[in-house]
Parts: sequence; C-alpha cells; structure tokens
Amino acid sequence: MNRLYVDSNNAKFKRRSLTTVDMELFDGTVIENLEPRRLFPISGQTRYISLLDSDLNEKGLIRNLDELIPADKKLILECLAEYYLIPVITRINNIDDQRSKIIFDVETDRGHRILEITHLVHQVKLLHDKRVLFRDANDNRFEIPDINALDKRSRTALDFYL
Amino acid sequence: MEETKVQFQTNVELPQEVITRITDAAKGEKVLFAVAADLTMEARFGKAFLSATDKAIYSFTDGDAEPMRLEYSEFEKCFVKRCYGNALLRIRRTEDAEPENVIRFSLKVASLFDAVAIFCERMHEGADPTEVVPIVEDAFIKQKSVCPKCGRTLLRPGADCIYCSSKGRFFKTIVKYVMPHKWTLLFCMFLSAFTTALSLISPYMNKTLVDEVFPNKDHKLLLTVVITLLVAHILQHAVGILRSYNLRICGDKIVKSFRSDIYKKAQYLPMRFYDRTSTGSVINRISGDTSTIQAFMLRITQEVIVQLFLLVGIVIIMLSMNWKLTLLSLIPVPFVVMGARIFGRKIRPFYVKIWRRWSAVTSILTDTLPGIRVIKAFTNEKKTIGNFDYYNEEWLKTDIKSARITITFPHITSFLISCGSLLIWLIGGAQVIEGSGEITAGLLISFISYTGTFYGPVNFFANLNDSFQHTLAAAERIMDILDAEPEHDFSGGDHPKNIKGKIEFRNVNFSFDRSKKTLSNINFVIEPGETVGIVGTTGSGKSTLINLLMRYYDGYDGEILMDDIDIRNIDMTFYRSKIGYVQQEPMMFHDTIFNNIAYGADDPSPEQVIHAADVANAHEFIARMPDAYDTVLGERGTGISGGEKQRLSIARAVLKNPSVLFFDEATASVDSETESLIQAAIDRLISGRTTIMIAHRLSTLRRATKIIVVDKGEILEMGSPEELMALKGKYYKLVQIQTMSEEAEKNRKEERFEG
Repeated sequence: MNRLYVDSNNAKFKRRSLTTVDMELFDGTVIENLEPRRLFPISGQTRYISLLDSDLNEKGLIRNLDELIPADKKLILECLAEYYLIPVITRINNIDDQRSKIIFDVETDRGHRILEITHLVHQVKLLHDKRVLFRDANDNRFEIPDINALDKRSRTALDFYL
Repeated sequence: MEETKVQFQTNVELPQEVITRITDAAKGEKVLFAVAADLTMEARFGKAFLSATDKAIYSFTDGDAEPMRLEYSEFEKCFVKRCYGNALLRIRRTEDAEPENVIRFSLKVASLFDAVAIFCERMHEGADPTEVVPIVEDAFIKQKSVCPKCGRTLLRPGADCIYCSSKGRFFKTIVKYVMPHKWTLLFCMFLSAFTTALSLISPYMNKTLVDEVFPNKDHKLLLTVVITLLVAHILQHAVGILRSYNLRICGDKIVKSFRSDIYKKAQYLPMRFYDRTSTGSVINRISGDTSTIQAFMLRITQEVIVQLFLLVGIVIIMLSMNWKLTLLSLIPVPFVVMGARIFGRKIRPFYVKIWRRWSAVTSILTDTLPGIRVIKAFTNEKKTIGNFDYYNEEWLKTDIKSARITITFPHITSFLISCGSLLIWLIGGAQVIEGSGEITAGLLISFISYTGTFYGPVNFFANLNDSFQHTLAAAERIMDILDAEPEHDFSGGDHPKNIKGKIEFRNVNFSFDRSKKTLSNINFVIEPGETVGIVGTTGSGKSTLINLLMRYYDGYDGEILMDDIDIRNIDMTFYRSKIGYVQQEPMMFHDTIFNNIAYGADDPSPEQVIHAADVANAHEFIARMPDAYDTVLGERGTGISGGEKQRLSIARAVLKNPSVLFFDEATASVDSETESLIQAAIDRLISGRTTIMIAHRLSTLRRATKIIVVDKGEILEMGSPEELMALKGKYYKLVQIQTMSEEAEKNRKEERFEG
C-alpha cells in the first residue's frame, strides 16, 4: 500500500478550521480539510501524525513534525492542541476515596477540575516511574508529566493510588 | 434583581444571573431547555451555556458578551464533533459549507449535546417542539439516574442506591455467613474458654511449687501438683483437638458458601463489569480474598472473645496477687495500642498496593497461558517471560516495602512487652531480695508467668488491626462484586406468552465509552419471520447491534422493542431463552460433545441431541470420532476444527428451538466446503424464524429479504437486496467488489486445475 509521507520537501499547509488544515503537494494538488491526528497520542506527541480526510481516510503521514518548516509545524501543533485536550495537573487539592469511585480535586493548566475515577487500575497509569496518565469516568484525559515536579503534599496524596 | 422562575429543563441548577441572561436573550420566544457545558471555546474549564427556544438556539460561551443566536432554519445540519478529551457542537449552514463551532464541552456532557443535535435537526425539519423536547429530557433524566454520592447507575431515576444505602455492609456480610454456623461456633467458644481456664492453672502451680513444695520438701504435694498439671494438659489438648476440628469444618463451610455466592454473582454481572475488570482480578477475589475473609471471620468470632476472656481473667488474678506489680505490667500497654494505630494507618495502603501488583501478575497469567500457541508460534517466550518478570518484580518491590513495616512492628511490640517484664523483675526482684514478705519468690515467678500470658492478648489486639486492614482491603474487592448491580435487575421482568419475533430499534444511540459513538440514531423494524442481513465494513457497528439485542449492554439511549415491548422490561432469562445466537468464534467447554450441544437445554434426550446435530450437519463427523458424542473436548474446545465447532454451536441453537436467531459472521473463518455445510444447516434452522445475519460474504445472505447497510455506526441504506442494487450505493459497491474477487478466485482455481 502506497503511503504518502509528508515533509517540507513535498507539502505545505494552510489552516482551514479549528482542527483541520489544507495540504498542498509539490505537484500543485490540494487536499482540503485534513485533520491531523496522533498515531501515538501517549508515547509520541510530535511523531507519526496522520492526516485524515472527512471520511477518516488517511491522506498522508508526517513522520516527525520537525521535518516540516517551522510555520507548518506551528500550524499542525495548533490543530493538535485543539483536538487533543489533555489538561496538565499542577496540584492535587484533595482526594476523596469513596470506595466505588475516587474523586480527585485538582488544579490544571486549564483551570480547576473535579474528576472521577471509577476503576483505578485501568484509569490511572504511572509510566516510567514519573509520568501519570488519568482517564476519568467520562473518558476525559489528564496528565502529570513528572510526578516529582509536584509539591510534596500532592505527591504524598497521590502515591497511595499509584 | 427580580428572580425569574425557571420554566425550562436544565442539566444543572443554573445561577439566577444565567437564567436571567437566557430569558432576556430569548424575549418573545419560549425557552424549551438549557444545557450547561464545562469548557470555554478556548478549551479552559469554565461555564458556558446553550439554550433552545421554539425558534432558535443561543450559545453563551464568552463571558458577558452577547450570545450567538442561530435560528433552526439557518442551518442544515447540527452534529457533535468528538475530539480527544473534549467535543464540539457544530452546525453546517449548507451541505458544502464549512462547519461552525457553537459550543465546546468535555465528554462528561457529550451525550446531552448528542440529544441537542438530534433536537436541532428535527426542529430544522419543522417538527413540533412538544414532540422533540422529550429527546433532550430523556438525556437529562438519564444523566440524573446516577447516585450523586457514588456515581453508580441507579435502577431508575430517583431510586435508592443499593450501594450507598447499606451501612456497615462488611460486618453485615460476615454475620450473614456466620449465622448458619452459630451453634458450632458457640460450642467452639465454650471449648476455648475451657482450655483458656485450664491454661491459667499452670502459673498458679509455679507459686505452690516454689513457695510450698520446695521449701517444705513436700513429696505428696509435689505428686498432687504434677498429677493436676498432667490432667490439665490432657484436657487442654483433647479439647483443643475437638475445637480445632470443628473450627476447620466450620471455616471450610463458610468459605465454600462465600465462594459460591461470589461466583454466582459473577455470572449475573453485566458485560460492562468484565470490560473493565480483568479475569485475573476476578479469579483472585474468588480464590485468595475469600480465604483472607474466612480467616478473619474465625478470628473475630473465636479469638477476639477468647483473648478478651483471657485478658480479663489474668488481670483479675494478677490484681488479687499484687496490685502494684499489676500496675507496673500495664505501663507498656498504651505504647502498644498507640503503635498499633500508627501501624494500621501505614500498612493499609501497602496491602491495597500489593493486591494491585498481584492482580497485574495474575492478569498476565490469565492472558498469556490460554494463548500459549500464539506465543510459541511467534517464538515470543522470552518477551512473555520478560513481561511477567517486570510485573513480578513490581510486586516484589512493593512487598519488600511493606515487609519493612510488617516485620518491624511485631518486634517493637514484643520489645515493649519485654520491657514490662523487666520492670517487674527489677522492682519485684528487689523486694524478694530484701525479704519484706510482701512478695515471695514463688509469687514473683508465678506473676512473671501470668505477665507473659497477659501480653499474649495485648499483642493479639495490637496485631488485630493488621489483620483487619488486610481483610478490609480484601473485603472491598469482594464487595465490588457482591454489591455490583446485576444485569437482570434492570428489568421489571415482563413475561410475554411467546415471542413472535418483531424487532424494532427506535432512535438508538450507544457508545462503549464517551470518546467515540458506536451507534448513532439507529431506526429499523424487522417483521416476524423475516431474514435480515446486516452488512458493513469491520468496526461499523454490526456486532454492537447484536450485543444490544442480546442485552449484553443496557445503557443505550432510545428503545429496542421485541414484539412492541421494550426488551429491558422483559424478564432476562425468558428473553434470552428465546434467542439462538451463533457467534463467529463459538465457545466450547471442557466437556463431552453431547454436553456441549445440550448446553442451555433442559435435560434433552439423546435423540433430541442427535437430531440437533443432524440439522446442523454435525452428526456425521461426530459419529466418525472414536468416542462419538462422549468425546471430551479440550479447554475452549480444542481437538476439533473451527468449522466443526461452528456446527456444534448451530446444533446448540437448534436444540434451543428459539423464536429469534442471530448469526454473527458464522461462516467467516471456514473454508468454502465447510461453509456450504454450515450454510445448509443455517438454511434448515432459520425457516419460519426471525433471523438477523451479519456476514462479510454477501453470498451467505441470499435468503435475506431485507439488507441493512451500516457504516460508522449509522444506517446508510436499508431495503430489499433488489432495491439496494438498484440504488447503486454502498451495498451495490460491496456486491461488485465481492463478485469480482470471487470470479478472480474462480479463475485462479481453474488455472491451477488446468495447469
């Protein structure tokens, strides 16, 4: 199967909407309304970005955003930032363990939030001993990039649940 | 400011200021409902609102700024765009126009906005608001059908939460299992008291020996003391044997009934429970956790009372011997009790953590061992071992951390207790040396013996917390199963006389999780006796339709009706007994072929089973096997081919004599010859029954009177095969593609034959 690998040598981009771009190939072909999606949303933030049309068919694949010109990279990153909402938890105010669910009262880079975890093992993951990923009861995502960067009180409160 | 009374439905209680803004904006229009979102358009957590009137929708997304007003006639399409961790309500003014964002929200309220999108589209089509507002109201009700305290789904809106309404459930559970054995346990308790009383004789005899026998060289008294101690020991051990035997039997019976109840409950748990809970974790609860609780039950019903009895008895004896020494021996007690509290607080998280790590280990086992063939085929043994070692290592690390506390604490307790004994030696010994007469050597030795025995119960109660914390962690996990809402409780249990087989989907929407909708706005009717084919690409939602019809998942929006009755209101056992379900990968059990066919039927005769096998084209291959119907299949049916398993599964369905049949890719993984055998069996079975067939190979749908084409969770086309071919849409394309590939395959075969 032929896959179009996109880089600064064969394509340039134009923002179309909140989450989409138009891609113009070196031969002048324009493919409109493409939505950049991460193929590795957890492990690869800037690598392997798939460009999907409105029917969710892949029209191109960016191996690494660094292979685009800075302006295009910025544009794609903006689209990704709109599509992927993963608030970063900066402080844990309180954890209320109600047995059937755990209520995390947190501060994030997007504001204050109360999130519910109903299944700890599946919904809270510690990666590489420092990164913590949350998926709440409603499938919203949250992240602590480095648990060691949290204040001591938050770290101690969280430690029990990891 | 004058308060405006809320006249419309909302998903949350709106502040007065917002109500005023909504009513002010919609002057002259009737506000029908308002929905609160939780994100601003800049994707920050905050308040945003959408209100709907009889003429337009208003979105309040930008602080105090004027709301965006969109009349229903202004747009052609309204839909929810789901992103990762957030979603957008969008409209499209014309077919080709760019979508415009109306409001942004997290996935928590996405299902509400799904209803809003359907509402808007219907309003655009000119529907009467009174007819379409219930779509949104239903979504509000569904959102309110969760317990505000624990978040679990309630049986119905406003119902009491079975989880939160019961207090002290753990102890109630213990009582439930202990009560049937109360007489045995009381008898054991009496025996314990008896042996405990006997154990108090020995230290008293020490005093007699030191103070009377040795100084007076009294041989007669010596013999009496020895015989008394001998009788006491014989009685103590004989009664001990009787007690231990009874306790063991009693404990085994308790754990047996406990395990049975959990396993029984596990059978009735909804599929959602198994979607989120690993098999290893469930096995752990049924095996390990029940034993932990059983041990604790026996401890509290036996040991606690006996140790308490012992403690009180010894304190009385000690006080009667010397009250000053008794007070000295009590000095370490507050320290031991305080230590136990600190210990309990520190150790509990470790027990929970250890269990989690151990669950991860058992999950690897249950995941990999059944797939050992795949592991070997890909020579992945080393990687699998590495993966197992990683989780095993994680368990070890946590266990080592907890060991530091669990090992240290009993030693600290023992040390404190030893300090108490040393104090008695120091002060009591000094008085014996001085010969004041208040304390004799015999009394001191006897007292020290009682002190040793006294610290036994103190130590027991100090460590009981450890045992309790360990048990509490196990109990929580077991309660997770025992308290989970069983699937059959959803229904009121209607029991229609018969099922004719009319199936109807009305506005059905479903998602496994909130990030992606699996089924959207599904509407169709299947008449009794009709054979309907469902086609679509992989992941289009075909099997989910069957999952909902089987009532594996009840948490969908809309209604699914069987003979005009909501399937959620039909008694689950009755309902499923009327359905025959043949899956792509039929599940066989480690049992005889006869029992595998008879699975689900009530004691069928051999002739019935043979007839079912005949109809399913299975009899011939079974008869050729050395043990025929007595052949025992391996775990998950190893020992026979995929096609043979499929025919056994059809025989099962034949024996059930169902009113409705579902086939989910029944011939997908078999060769052409086997497919024709299975197809012949299916043709015989479906005659006169409502049948839904999911098939990739469209040739298997030749008997279908209606075809439903599903794509991305929506119905794309529906009609008779002829109608759909004339439509030249998706179905037509699929037929064309398959015809071409079949012809190419045929040509290849002919070439090979000629060559």
